[in-house]
Amino acid sequence: MKMLGFIMQSSESNNKYVSLMRGALAVFPLALAVVPWGILAGSYAIEVGLTWLQAQAMSAIVFAGAAQLAALGMLASGIGVMGILLTTTLITSRHLLYSLSLRPSLQTLPTRWRITLGFLLTDEMFAIVMSEKFKSFQSNPWFALGAGGCFYVSWNLATTLGIVLGTSMPELHSVGLDFAIVATFIALIVPSIKTFPVLVCVGVAAYSATVFALVQWQAGLLLSSGLGMLAGYVAECVYKNDGKVVL
Amino acid sequence: MSWAVLFAMAAIIFISRYVFLEPRLPVVLGPRLQRLLTYSAPAVLSAIVAPLIFIDGEQLYLGVQNRYFIGAMAACLLIVVTRNTLITVLISMGLFFFVL
Repeated sequence: MKMLGFIMQSSESNNKYVSLMRGALAVFPLALAVVPWGILAGSYAIEVGLTWLQAQAMSAIVFAGAAQLAALGMLASGIGVMGILLTTTLITSRHLLYSLSLRPSLQTLPTRWRITLGFLLTDEMFAIVMSEKFKSFQSNPWFALGAGGCFYVSWNLATTLGIVLGTSMPELHSVGLDFAIVATFIALIVPSIKTFPVLVCVGVAAYSATVFALVQWQAGLLLSSGLGMLAGYVAECVYKNDGKVVL
Repeated sequence: MSWAVLFAMAAIIFISRYVFLEPRLPVVLGPRLQRLLTYSAPAVLSAIVAPLIFIDGEQLYLGVQNRYFIGAMAACLLIVVTRNTLITVLISMGLFFFVL
């Protein structure tokens, strides 16, 4: 009995470590692709006038690339605090969907786990945790910690590098830095298209987001995400009932 | 930027990420809502990425001279063929920056 207990215990702690490493490994390509963005976040912060400590703290405690760069851009063009905080709220609102999606698997965890994983909940971590490829790890907090933690370390090291380099960076779109997002997100989206409803969801979300962006409507991201989800769900209901719509 | 603004940003973002992980929040997800939420990842990611691919400047642009569009096509092809995220990201970024 003692022997069996020992084996079970060691396989459990081994499992934690393995899950942590699997998570880190799974997010590694995305952590690599985000490096240029982290460098930009650091150097742009210095350029706009933050101290090095503030620049690093921004990545360490805010930890949200899109919101950080938007805030720095607004600071540079002299937009006030309320504008910055409103834009932050708008950009970050998609995270509400992520935490809602993860509620069933994470809400029963102890507080320290929920706070840690909530803090680390980025687009990338969410995509990895939700991905079909890692389905067996889906409610494993160690896997999520590995993915979120690895991404956090990468983002902050890249920011440090940007602070040290400190040079002024040319405009994002002209350098094509945002292609890093295109490449990583495609690598995440395409493998998830395994069923017809997911295809419908992706199509509707992409189409409506493009339309909203063309009319420069800032709340478009959340709305088009909602439309995509709804379209996927409706397609699923139709698909399951041989064409009869049963919601 | 003042420290106060920095902490306020951090608070807003943390709350949006954490709020539904809080068990004391009286929200119960029914089976339909749970099904709907299985589409959240592909929907949000597509909504973020599509305007980057299809819009050049302020206009819709679907042509061979749109580097983002061509690069995105290459990334799609690479992930389908290789099934490997790292290879896809590295090769398509290499293509985008050095060839296109």
